[in-house]
Amino acid sequence: MSVETLIEELKVKIIEVLDLPDITPADMDRDARLIGGPAGIDSIDVLEMVMMIEKEYGIRIDNQELGREVFATLGTLAEYIHQNQPERTR
Amino acid sequence: MRGTPVFIAGMGIVSPLGHGLAQTVAALENHATGISALTLFTPPADRRLPVGQVRRVPGPEDLPRTHRLARMAADEAMAGDSTAPDAVVIGTTTGGMQKTETLLRQNAARPGLLTHHGAGTVAEDLAARFGCTGPAMTVTTACSSGGAAIKLALEMIRSGRARRVLTGGADSLCRLTYYGFNALQLLDPAGARPLDESRRGMTLSEGAAMLLLSAEPGPAAAAAVCGGGLSCDAWHPAAPHPEGRGALAAMRAALEDAGIAPRQVDYVNLHGTGTPDNDLAEARALRALFGSRLPPLSSIKGATGHALAAAGAIEAVVAALCVQHGLVPGNPGFKRRDPRLKLTPLTHPRRRAVGCVLSNSFGFGGNNAALVVSGPDAAPAKSAPAHRRLYVVGSACLTAAGDAGRTLQALAAGRDCAGPAGLEAALEAVPARSRRRLGRFSALALALALAAREDAGESGPPAGIFLGTAWGALSETGRFLDELFESDEKFASPTAFVGSVHNAAAGQTALLMDARGPNVTTSGGDSSFEQALLAAACLAPGKKGSFLVAGADEHHGTLSPLFDPSVALGKNAADGGGALYLSAAARPGAPAVAPVFSGSGNPPVISALIRALGGPERVRNRCGLLMVGIPAAWRDTGRRQLQEFLDGTALRAPVVDYRRWTGEFGSASAVAAALAVRFCRQGTVPATLCGGTAAELGGRAILLLGLGTTVTALEIGGP
Repeated sequence: MSVETLIEELKVKIIEVLDLPDITPADMDRDARLIGGPAGIDSIDVLEMVMMIEKEYGIRIDNQELGREVFATLGTLAEYIHQNQPERTR
Repeated sequence: MRGTPVFIAGMGIVSPLGHGLAQTVAALENHATGISALTLFTPPADRRLPVGQVRRVPGPEDLPRTHRLARMAADEAMAGDSTAPDAVVIGTTTGGMQKTETLLRQNAARPGLLTHHGAGTVAEDLAARFGCTGPAMTVTTACSSGGAAIKLALEMIRSGRARRVLTGGADSLCRLTYYGFNALQLLDPAGARPLDESRRGMTLSEGAAMLLLSAEPGPAAAAAVCGGGLSCDAWHPAAPHPEGRGALAAMRAALEDAGIAPRQVDYVNLHGTGTPDNDLAEARALRALFGSRLPPLSSIKGATGHALAAAGAIEAVVAALCVQHGLVPGNPGFKRRDPRLKLTPLTHPRRRAVGCVLSNSFGFGGNNAALVVSGPDAAPAKSAPAHRRLYVVGSACLTAAGDAGRTLQALAAGRDCAGPAGLEAALEAVPARSRRRLGRFSALALALALAAREDAGESGPPAGIFLGTAWGALSETGRFLDELFESDEKFASPTAFVGSVHNAAAGQTALLMDARGPNVTTSGGDSSFEQALLAAACLAPGKKGSFLVAGADEHHGTLSPLFDPSVALGKNAADGGGALYLSAAARPGAPAVAPVFSGSGNPPVISALIRALGGPERVRNRCGLLMVGIPAAWRDTGRRQLQEFLDGTALRAPVVDYRRWTGEFGSASAVAAALAVRFCRQGTVPATLCGGTAAELGGRAILLLGLGTTVTALEIGGP
């Protein structure tokens, strides 16, 4: 899966898992700040996304320093998943 | 203003450091640690973290672990004392959860097996064990519960409501908290290292500690509780205010309450969980309070772990031991100073005289408590606060019919209002983004708070929030456990965990109303709302400003009938709640409300109730309407109690059996209280409720009785 496809997939999954009431995939920009940005995503949401990413992609982001880097933007998140995904699902 | 100290006539403790006071002192002196591997349950291999697990927890196997831990500590505190305490006030968050989740995981949960699930059952168990027939209260404010419970006990004694109170906190390890905190990445895989530069989180643990507090110094008094302070961050559901705003407010309030200046503090027992955020916020609050003259300070949580609701009580007992033994504990786990904290704890225990200890406990929901413990020679202050009357300046309820106006219309038309409460209209004014993470229980609490404030004609933040709930956030609890067990204990939702704590609703309400005063959630089955009102009467800020007292419960298809025997018997699923906006100062047209009685122990409980109300004649003269709550599970007992009350007082006022109209849910009495306020305001009670003839109150009071295993009485209105 390309990074671009992954970004589109992530948009849908994030809106669903965080139950964002007033956001559509079109509102989400790959380079916009994800946490504290326009979507109103906060630190608890990040951890909810951590669980979703382990469930969906088999990747664990289990410390806060790494989390801050990975969840900087949709782009950084998709890149991280792309690089770390187990072979069989890439 | 300085309040009277109360004396510690007995203490008991069980923690990962050992059983009892002697083992605890030895462990603190030796800088020992109680952190080890978890054996209570077996997480997946990649999710195993060190914990503070108590070894050997005796007691009946069918009694939940929290209750057994509480009994161990209480037995030690009450040893050699054959007189029953006047009240029991316990802080707990998990209650019977460890047993409940095990049964749910095995698909073996059935109604009748979970009789000790409720947070309130820990206090009830101890009350029965020691023959206490007075109030059995439960404070459930997450990790500040133990400290907040002790503050409430202190105020019950100061206000003359009790002479001796058994108080403390208890919590057992369980999957809910273990996986929940892990999902929040708040557990340090290497074990907690409070204040250390490389700290990564806390170590979850368990335990219990109890104090027998007494108005009299007595010969055995080891120490005294001189003051306590409560506050709310009103900032974030699970993270502390970055500058420690609420922590500072609680510490300041505690010192003021004790009549002590910061320079008189000899030792600060920190909340010091070891999470990066807590320790930083606490350090900032300490610097704001003490400036550059910091007293010796340490966190013992590197050795005990964080026992959640028990922590504040464990550390209150440790504070008393420090005073008694001239000991200052070290800070196990600390190696390197964190330049961001700008403070260094005592690395090792020291022997030195300790006159006065400040002990901190902070929790989810931004709920903070601080206590001041000092020697038993503390001079009692002269001032004795009088019994406080509270006045209802606003009221609200939510039922299947809708808000209070619609509920009254339905009742006047002879329709019941039992069913799922209508929430949507009540929350229209709250932005969708603020509601996004609110489960049903939190949404109910917020809607009630906003409606009661609006009815009071106010718009500012309330000076305090007191919320009673029998079962708390069942949606989030159910969702968390479902996901956990479906994934074989691999996936746990941090959002559901944060929302699942009983005090999440009061914390969210405070956040959205910017309410930074005391924030207390109580839980005690069918009298949870009455407990919230009693807590408010003891803890509410002075005559300036008004505050909120509410009761709410949500219905959950699976969990409600498992937990609540009256729901299991009820015909329809029902939920909702009620709220009162109160002032300690009299206002024109505002009916008074007073929690007059809370007790148990048949058969003499009804005669005790009549005595507390001032005797039969006073009841006949004052009472214009009797509203009784008889939970379905206790119908026979409740009917007998009602008959005994009517026979004993010869009262001829109309009787409204309100659960027939509200349906069965724990805080139905909060709906009844809100309706009683409306009846007082209009002076009449609809004929449909009073057997065909409208009742004229004629300025008389409405007596709200809760019957069943616990008997409560609230008086609303009247001369």
